Amino acid sequence: MTEGINHCLTGLRVLDFTRALAGPTCARMLAEMGADVIKVESAPHGDLSRGASVFRNKRSVFFVQHNRGKKSFCVNLRDPRGMALIAELVQRVDVVVENFKPGVMAEMGLSYERLKELKPDIILCSISALGQTGPLAHKPGYDYIAQAYAGVTSMIGDKDEAPYIPLVGLGDVSTGVHGALAVLAALRHRDRTGRGQHLDVSLLDVYYNFHEVNVHQVKASGGKIKPTRVGRHMTYLCPGGVFRATGGHVVIMGFFHHWPDFCRAMERPDLIDDPRYRTDLARLERRDEVVKLIEDWLQTFPDVPSAVAHMERFNVPVAPVLSVEETLTYPHLRQRGTVRTIVDPTHDGEIDVPGFPLKFSEFPEELPLTAPTLGQHNEEVLTQYLGRTVAEVQKLREAGVLMEERR
Amino acid sequence: MPQGMDHVLSDLRVLDFTRALAGPSCTRMLAEMGAEVIKVEAGPNGELARRLSNYRNNRSLYYIQQNLGKKSFCVNLRDPRALAMIAELIPQVDVVVENFKPGVIADMGFGYERLREMKKDIILCSISALGQSGPLASKPGYDYIAQAYSGVTSMIGDPEDAPYLPLVGMGDVSTGVHAALAIVSALRYRDRTGEGQHLDVALLDVYYHYHEVNVHAYSGSDGTVKPTRAGRHMTYVCPAGVFRGKGGFLVIMSFLHHWKDLCEAIGRPDLVTDPNFSTDPARLQRRAEVVKIIEDWLQTFPDVPSAIAHLEKHQVPVAPVLSVAETTQHPHHRARGTVRTVHDRLAGDFDMPGMPLKFSRFPKDLPLEAATLGQHNEEILTRYLGRSAQDVQKLRAEGVLIEKEI
Repeated sequence: MTEGINHCLTGLRVLDFTRALAGPTCARMLAEMGADVIKVESAPHGDLSRGASVFRNKRSVFFVQHNRGKKSFCVNLRDPRGMALIAELVQRVDVVVENFKPGVMAEMGLSYERLKELKPDIILCSISALGQTGPLAHKPGYDYIAQAYAGVTSMIGDKDEAPYIPLVGLGDVSTGVHGALAVLAALRHRDRTGRGQHLDVSLLDVYYNFHEVNVHQVKASGGKIKPTRVGRHMTYLCPGGVFRATGGHVVIMGFFHHWPDFCRAMERPDLIDDPRYRTDLARLERRDEVVKLIEDWLQTFPDVPSAVAHMERFNVPVAPVLSVEETLTYPHLRQRGTVRTIVDPTHDGEIDVPGFPLKFSEFPEELPLTAPTLGQHNEEVLTQYLGRTVAEVQKLREAGVLMEERR
Repeated sequence: MPQGMDHVLSDLRVLDFTRALAGPSCTRMLAEMGAEVIKVEAGPNGELARRLSNYRNNRSLYYIQQNLGKKSFCVNLRDPRALAMIAELIPQVDVVVENFKPGVIADMGFGYERLREMKKDIILCSISALGQSGPLASKPGYDYIAQAYSGVTSMIGDPEDAPYLPLVGMGDVSTGVHAALAIVSALRYRDRTGEGQHLDVALLDVYYHYHEVNVHAYSGSDGTVKPTRAGRHMTYVCPAGVFRGKGGFLVIMSFLHHWKDLCEAIGRPDLVTDPNFSTDPARLQRRAEVVKIIEDWLQTFPDVPSAIAHLEKHQVPVAPVLSVAETTQHPHHRARGTVRTVHDRLAGDFDMPGMPLKFSRFPKDLPLEAATLGQHNEEILTRYLGRSAQDVQKLRAEGVLIEKEI
């Protein structure tokens, strides 16, 4: 057990083979809730994301953000002695998480069947782009590949133009969270029944689950509705979307019961009961007209904040479209810890990263976690979990089975 | 024992006050994993989602999709007798979930402190757009409101034009899943220590958490990198994005070690070592040129599938941009249950997304249905609150309980 870490998952041990983003997010969520996560990194380079994004003192800030609170165990996976250590570790953990291409774990001698022989109630969580099963399972996958196959990409942009991709890792990150949920649910089942299992969580399935109306519309409308991207506005309610204002953009949700409030905000109470605008269906019929009405009115304000403040007085759901730069200093985001500033011991200065998205009343403070350097915990893992002596660790180090580097 | 079906969470009972999308997808995830979920709906019409996507028999497909497997308990929340019945239910559940505007659940008499008096180790999960705390907490919120405040909206579209909205409920649904994770995690703590707690999960925090590079890129570069939308391509590796093929679009990811494979595939092995194109930073410098080379080459294929088949032969990560209609027919999606056909007594058969978590111990989805309004009123009153069928009939006649075939 890691000393001093008290949170929901204290006592839980996870062996983490993940790299890049989706898998590491899963393991990090568990670490941020107190689990003891041993990240296995393949020597000599470790997780490929140690070479990604912005660097400070040759330290990848990407790696820091996504690997907080994990222990790094860097071992030569091509050396049988390295694999033997892994097999020993499997017997001492509750959960194994991996996000290799389907089949790679089996090739490494770590299939679910094999893991079960090592520890009968093991829970293996496999995270992938397109899933462990089905005709596409073996294809190489990334976030946007799964997004395209899920039909989500087809819902972003203008109807007659190429779609856009959102420049955020939403599929990877959300899939990591889905994986963590599957892990904890399976643990609950294990605790009750003594049985482990193999979990299969994919970006494709996660993205697909995001379709709140699109999928059911296809068949249920008898093919009449063909869901596709239609620009900046919702298709089943109106007004709801992105509007151009002076010097920026605002999101306004003025549908349903908000319409009367919005009409009053625009000083157009006549539109509340006007049959052409009274219902969402009527407004959808004249969406362009509704949008123009709103955008013309927004031009009467000198800037976005004044327009937002005015609409808020009338209880209209509204938001400025903030840039990432603006979010960093926005009081609400700072106060909630939506954005947090962290210090990495290996580089000078602080960096901002997204905060932990779950808030627990029992643990109002975040755990004081840091991301490990490559192989930082080799000795700790081998002495504490596998009963090796410091001399034995040194021998493995010299034999090139273990690898350590301050980056 | 809770009445959930055999699955990972069948020992769990949840009282569910949620409406619309984020909250209901949280409790649906729990129900799909076997939890017994009692959904409290306000009379006379139940939750507002029952008014959306009413394509057949005035039955809402929107409601069905997010409320599979839940029991509907529909009461007149303005009647003190209804509130008293809910108070009686609290000691019999493990978890309460709500997604009202912050403060409303306390106004109803079910704030966390009050719930704790009713059941000491209760877990209350509050889901909201902008959170339970902070200066924006009291504002009315929806998915896209939180998305705009998170900076995510600013990352979609062309830099010189207004951003686009992704027409999928990605904030709501994912926040529901985040909340389910917080709940299961808090249950583990409760089982170990006997302590419950109040969970605060917001779309804003969830959306913000999606920034895999943007937030640290700005602060880590001391403001040199100002993340913003940049069209159809990634900004830190290249090529990676949406490309125009013949008659449709493709996503191609051939950065880092995939570049070599792409060059082979397009018959340009010279570009592998060409210093103008050999690294991601070099290609990012000439992104328009790289995109043009690839899109011109794509035009030599008669259609998108043939271009994809060729790229796949060279191990290039690639996908067609499928329409939603195409996804519902795709053999992979059908084989995995990414899309599933569900049957509803009133609405018939229709397609919806599958349960996104696959458990080897439970290879089949549970046979869940969505309840009609107040369908389980009698069951809940007789089984949990010890009322007789006569008592139930009286409450029905007095308008405290509401039941409708919708």
